[in-house]
Amino acid sequence: MASKEIARTALAAGAVAIVAGKAVAKLDSAALDKALEPLKTYDWGADRETLNPIDQAINATHGDAAARKMLEKGLVDALAGGLSRSAQDYVCRKLRVVGTTRSVKALAALLPAEKTSHIARYALGRIPDEKATAALRDALPKVSNKLKPGMIGSLGVRRDTKSIKAISKLLGDSDIQVARAAAHSLGLIGTSAAAKELSAFAKKTPAGMKMPVADARLICAEQLLADGEKSEAIAIYNGLKGDDQPKHVKVAAMKGLLTAASKT
Amino acid sequence: MSHGRRTFLKAAAASVALPYLVPASALGKDGNTAPSNRIVMAGIGIGNMGRGDQGAFLGRGDVQYVAASDVKKGARDDALTRVNGKYGNTDCKVYNDFREIMVRDDIDAVHCATPDHWHAIVVIEACRNGKDIYCQKPETKTLREGKLMIDAARRYGRVVSGGSQRVLGDYRKTVDPCWNGSKGIIKSINVNVGPLPKDCNKKGEPVPDGFDWDRWLGPAPWAPYHPHRCSGSYNINGTSWRSFRDYSGGGMTDWGAHHFGGATFAIDVRELEPEEVIFHHENGKKFATCRYPNGKLLHHNHPGMGNLHVVGTNEKGPSKPVPGYAGGGNIYGDFIDCVKTRKRPFRDIEYAVHTTTVCHLFLIAYELERSLTWDTVKQQFVNDDDANRLVDVARREPWVI
Repeated sequence: MASKEIARTALAAGAVAIVAGKAVAKLDSAALDKALEPLKTYDWGADRETLNPIDQAINATHGDAAARKMLEKGLVDALAGGLSRSAQDYVCRKLRVVGTTRSVKALAALLPAEKTSHIARYALGRIPDEKATAALRDALPKVSNKLKPGMIGSLGVRRDTKSIKAISKLLGDSDIQVARAAAHSLGLIGTSAAAKELSAFAKKTPAGMKMPVADARLICAEQLLADGEKSEAIAIYNGLKGDDQPKHVKVAAMKGLLTAASKT
Repeated sequence: MSHGRRTFLKAAAASVALPYLVPASALGKDGNTAPSNRIVMAGIGIGNMGRGDQGAFLGRGDVQYVAASDVKKGARDDALTRVNGKYGNTDCKVYNDFREIMVRDDIDAVHCATPDHWHAIVVIEACRNGKDIYCQKPETKTLREGKLMIDAARRYGRVVSGGSQRVLGDYRKTVDPCWNGSKGIIKSINVNVGPLPKDCNKKGEPVPDGFDWDRWLGPAPWAPYHPHRCSGSYNINGTSWRSFRDYSGGGMTDWGAHHFGGATFAIDVRELEPEEVIFHHENGKKFATCRYPNGKLLHHNHPGMGNLHVVGTNEKGPSKPVPGYAGGGNIYGDFIDCVKTRKRPFRDIEYAVHTTTVCHLFLIAYELERSLTWDTVKQQFVNDDDANRLVDVARREPWVI
C-alpha cells in the first residue's frame, strides 16, 4: 500500500496519527481510545464495520514497535474490561496477529472457560513466544476433558517438547478424543522422546487407538527423517510393516523405509 | 477391495427379503459391474454440491454407494431415499458423524462436499483410514492445511482428487493456445475474481430441529446459529457460508479455485507454488501479482486486463498435448478410474493445493496490504511475523490436524 494511502485510511479511521509524511510514526492514545470505544457495546448483530478502524490500525502499525505496543495494550485492556463474547472473539482474532508476551496473561485467563478457551488458543496458538507455549502447557492439566484436545493440539502444532511427558500420560485416557489428540500431537512434536512414548504405547494400544497411534508414529518418523534422525525413523517404519497393521499402514511403512534408504 | 467389503455386500444382499425387487443393474445383470467388483463409496456433506456429487457417483455402474453423512437430518434422509431408491433396497446407512464412515472397512472411497473449513480434516481422516477421496474445491482453508493433505495422501498412497470440474471443462479457449504454442513464451495471466471474505457477526436464531449446529461449526470458532452463516447457497454476498472468513475464503477461494486452477493449468505452473506475492495500490485500486520461480506472473484483478487474459511473446512455439481425464469421461470418472488404476487424477491434491495456495497468498497480502515473500520449502513467509501467524488457525476442540 502506498504510504499516502495508509495515511489517508488511518486518519479516516481516527486511530493513527501521521507525522512528517511517514506512513505511521505515532499512535495517538486518544485516537486509539476512540477506535476501541465500539468494543464496549459490540455484540452479535452489531455492525462489524464499526471495528474497521482497529483493523486498519493493525496494518498501519506494522513495523512500528511503539505503536504496536500501544495498540496491543489497548486490546488487552479491553479484553480485561468485560466484553461480550462477540467482542472478546474479535479482540482475540486481532491478538492472533499483534499479540506478544504482553498479551499472554490476559489470554491465558480465558483458557479454562468453555466459552472462551478456543478463541484464546486462536490467539495464543499463533503468538511465536515461549510464554504463549507455557500458558498452553500450564493450562493442560487444569482444563476439562472437553477442552483438553484443543490444548494438546495447539501444543503439538507448536512442537513443544516440554509437554511430551504430560501428553504421553493422556495416550491411555478413557476419553477417546483426548487420547487421539495426544497421539497426534506426539507425532507432530516428532522428536526421539515423542517417538519413544508412542512406541511404548503401541505395545498396549486398545483397538480404538490402533489407527491413531500408527498414524502418529508415521508422522513422527517423517519428522525424525527430516531432522536427520534416520535410524530412529527406520525403527518406527520397521515396527509398522508387519501383518498386524492394516494394508495402507504397511504400504506407508514400506514407502518410509524406501525414503529413508535414499537419504544419506 | 477388502474381504470385509465383500462380506458386507454379501450380508447386505442376503438381507434383501424380496430379491425380485432388486433392479438388475444392482446385480450386475445389465452389463454393469457386479456389486462385488464395484468401488464402494460414501458421501460426506451431501447438501447442495454434495448432492450433485452423490448423483454423479450414484449414476455410475462401477460404483456401489452405501453410506452418507451430514449434520442435517433432512439431507441425510434425502440421501437415504435417493440411494435406496436407486438400488431398490435398504442397505444405505446414514450418519451424523463422518468418522463412522471412515472406520468402515467395506468402503473404498468417499467424496466430500462439506463447507471448506472441514475439508482438510475429512481428507486427512480418509487417508489415514485407507480411503481414496474426491474433495470439492476449494480444498484448503489455510496454507498449512495444504501440505498436511498432500503428505497424508502420499504417506498412505491414496488417490485424492480435488473437485473443480471447470479447470479442464471451462477454460479450453485459454488453455489450448498456451499449450499448442500459439501464445509463444507465456509471460503472465490475469484472473478477475472476488470478493474477499468477511467476518460474520450475525445475531443468533433458534437452531432448526435436526441440525447439529455444533458439528457444523466443527473446527471453526463458536458462533450463534444464523441461516445466512451456514446456508449452502452459491451466493457470496453475505447470505451463505461462502462469504465468511471462518468457513471460506470468499470469492477468492470459491470461484478462485476454478479460475486460478484454469489459469495455472493454462500457463503450466500447476506443479509450482509462487515465491512472491506483490501487492499494488494504484489510483485507488488494489490488485496483486504472484510471481513463480520460473518468472511467470499470475495477476489478480489487474487493471485493464480481462479474466484469463494471457500475455505471451506470440511467436509460434513448441506444442505439447493437453492433459485430460483418465478414462475419457468427466472428473468423477477420472477419480474412479484412478481409484482402480492407482494413478494420480487430473486434479491431484498437489495441483489442487497449489491452486488454493495462490488464493491464500493473495488473501493474506490483501489483508495485510503489503507484498510478501513465500518460502515454498519451509512453507512460511520470509521476514514477516504477522503473515506467518495467518498461515494457519487453532482449531476448536476436539479437532486437531
